[in-house]
Amino acid sequence: MSYEDIPVAEASPALESERLLQQQLESAFSELSGKVTIQRVRRVWVEVTMDQLHPVLTHAKDQLGFGMLCTITGTDEGTHLGLMYHLASDGGVVLTLVTTAPKDGPGPQTVTQYFPHADLYEREVIDLLGVRIQGVADGNRYPLPDGWPEGQYPLRKDWTQEMLEVGKEVEP
Amino acid sequence: MALFYILVFPGFLFLIGFALAGEWLDRKLHALMQNRIGPPWFQPLADIIKLSAKEDTVPNGADRTIFKLMPMLALTATVVAVLYVPLWSKNALNSFPGDLIVVLYLLTIPTLTFFLGGWFSRSIYSLIGAARALTQLFAYEIPLLLSVLAPAMLANSWSISEISAFYAQRWYLTPVNIIGFVVAMVALLGKLERVPFDIPEAETEIVAGSFTEYSGRLLGLFRLCVDVEMIVGASLIAAIFLPFGLGAPAWLAFILYLVKVEGLIFLISFMRTIMARLRIDQMVDFCWKILAPVAFVQLVLNLVLKGVVQ
Amino acid sequence: MTDRDVIKVPLGPQHPALKEPGNFILSMKGELVTEMGVRLGYNHRGIEKACEQRSYLNDLYLLERICGICSHSHSTAYVQAVEEIAGIQVPPRGLYLRTLVAELERVHSHLLWLGVAGHEIGFDTLLMYSWRDREVVMDLLAALTGNRVNYGFNTIGGVRRDITDEQKLEVLKATDTLEERTKYYAELAGHETTLIKRLKDVGRLSKEDVLRLGVTGPTARASGVSRDVRKDDPYAVYADLDFEVITSDHCDVYGRTLVRVGELMQTYKMIRQLLTQLPDGAIAAKAPRKIPKGQAISRYEAPRGEDFHFVRGNGTDKPERVKVRAPTLVNMQAVSTMMKGGYLADMPITLAAIDPCFSCTDRMIELRDESDTACGEYSWPALRQLGISHHRALGIDFTELSKKLASRRDRV
Repeated sequence: MSYEDIPVAEASPALESERLLQQQLESAFSELSGKVTIQRVRRVWVEVTMDQLHPVLTHAKDQLGFGMLCTITGTDEGTHLGLMYHLASDGGVVLTLVTTAPKDGPGPQTVTQYFPHADLYEREVIDLLGVRIQGVADGNRYPLPDGWPEGQYPLRKDWTQEMLEVGKEVEP
Repeated sequence: MALFYILVFPGFLFLIGFALAGEWLDRKLHALMQNRIGPPWFQPLADIIKLSAKEDTVPNGADRTIFKLMPMLALTATVVAVLYVPLWSKNALNSFPGDLIVVLYLLTIPTLTFFLGGWFSRSIYSLIGAARALTQLFAYEIPLLLSVLAPAMLANSWSISEISAFYAQRWYLTPVNIIGFVVAMVALLGKLERVPFDIPEAETEIVAGSFTEYSGRLLGLFRLCVDVEMIVGASLIAAIFLPFGLGAPAWLAFILYLVKVEGLIFLISFMRTIMARLRIDQMVDFCWKILAPVAFVQLVLNLVLKGVVQ
Repeated sequence: MTDRDVIKVPLGPQHPALKEPGNFILSMKGELVTEMGVRLGYNHRGIEKACEQRSYLNDLYLLERICGICSHSHSTAYVQAVEEIAGIQVPPRGLYLRTLVAELERVHSHLLWLGVAGHEIGFDTLLMYSWRDREVVMDLLAALTGNRVNYGFNTIGGVRRDITDEQKLEVLKATDTLEERTKYYAELAGHETTLIKRLKDVGRLSKEDVLRLGVTGPTARASGVSRDVRKDDPYAVYADLDFEVITSDHCDVYGRTLVRVGELMQTYKMIRQLLTQLPDGAIAAKAPRKIPKGQAISRYEAPRGEDFHFVRGNGTDKPERVKVRAPTLVNMQAVSTMMKGGYLADMPITLAAIDPCFSCTDRMIELRDESDTACGEYSWPALRQLGISHHRALGIDFTELSKKLASRRDRV
């Protein structure tokens, strides 16, 4: 599914703060005009490229009050991988930065310097989807076990459980 | 006849039976106070029988001799200690001037065996438990010694039987030692490793402390030792601080003795019901900064009193 | 300090302090913890992947089984997202009942926590008492939903069971009992010396750290951060309810205890409001089997903190992607900050104070035998066969018994 499928909310006075957020983002980053979608009250989506991710993320955190990274959702979009950084403000607004990463090439830089708690989120998309996030510190993998075979990413659409069992002897 | 005294009544067999009954009472009271039903009367015995039927395992790398020797040594020491404590008559089975010190010394041995057994288990939890057991020993042993020293000084004797007899004759002097009694009870909790002083075997931190690697008969011996230690400790406190009814007919004195010890077990159960486990630093702080000075007050009080009496 | 002075104490994957597997390696100098390493993932069960292979309704029951304690949290967070994508309007009565079960679940979770906290500091009496009282709310949940845990109460479009007037009275009566008991615990927390000694100044987490580490739930609120999805991003009927967000400035485990006990009192208030305001009408709207294309984010204040679900539909009867972020995943990362310089003895209670739920955190398992001799992976039938042959080698054989049972079945 593509990002354009998000239904756009009708204009209403209830969405004033969301519209303000949209204006703030578009005025800070001219290239974002038309890329900010208001889905409903307290749900705003922005489409960014991998390069824009860090500037927009830091701007949202430092200037717009989005101090909490709820999680990073990884998706398999067929030809590439999708990444969603869900940011939340104290006012309950969730700003989601949607970006893409190639399946084989390097992915975005780590965001742990702004959000230390993103560490496990990043390890999770690395393990389950094979996003090559750059600059992740050494440490335990999460959540797959240590002996997990290389190049197997369970949350990719072409992965099935049988791929694990091929060629493996089962103890009698 | 002496052999009968030592082995059956009031020696070894009676003691084991009483210890198991004591454990049951403790567990039952604890359970009732916690809104539970508690175990049936034979549960402690069943536990011991079950444990002795199980395999003894010695961890790799552990010192086999010490590992196996320690539980026996612990039980022996506590059982021997009971010979010097007057139970329901004025005289203990065996008594000599200075046996108070010997009993205290014998009661220290189990803790030392917990330490050695844990240390030579070579398990990380046992190691920490062993270190804690020893740290705790240094914290409660001084207050305990001070608290029994005070009545001994007033009675002018180092023999438990003589101290007991002294207070039995002068019952009005017993309330003087009330501070010492409280201190001794608290120190006994430390010795028995009961809540709030169950730090060396804190389950949620270090599994079972020194006992982590013990199983089967060896663990059974250790458990029996702790039960006997509770009875001996309670009897010692009863003999020194509650010497009532020692001159009564034997059957009445015997019942009185049971009541006294069971009362003390109730206190122990009650304490562990209403408290949380302390941290080792809090425990040591408490023993040195509060318990020891309080015991010292008792000592000074008795010294002054002795001067007045003479 | 040389390396010889530092001992490494492993806590878990199996350890009496942990109710679920997780691994913590504590580097210790004496009794003091200098460093802590965390390894999670032991409970990963592949639920997110499994969700993509099942229908929306099946997923509801699967997600409910992420965790036994906050099962209603996960199922509600998920149905809310699905309902948003499908544009289903849940009837008000359905929303009220959903919230009622949610708050009852919070009661049972917080009472459970109180007991576990007591156990971790060696205060088993508290465990016995609070779990006894927890039975009251467990029975209530069983009466209302049919189950003590994994209620199966939600369905896409509403809830599955209505509540009778007698049940309403029953809930009110039980709430009074529980409130009285909770008051007693609040008093206990303020007076019991050993309890306070073990909880105060333990596992400190400053307000700045909470904001920096994105901590959620009671753990955040105990550090003076008023962060509660029920107020910030209201869902279900929380916008209609009158309640306060309980915070505390203690910043330690004691504060977390006070916050949870305070929250219980607020919850009783909410339960009464829910029952008095309960509107009449249908309890569920009809939901289509196929959910249209679209995606939605659903946030939910679980007893442990913010539950975050993301669902994307692709127009079929199976979701394209379901993403779950449980509160423990983020709170767990704050534990090493809390533990630095602490005592080993404080580790269990510090860990317990975030009310961790590793099942929620991890979500997938591949069965692997990683012992020295055998290394392989098993399919379910192979694993079953292995179990049978293993026990047969030990002399435990059920072949005859199975035959006997089968023949008895045939006769009937």
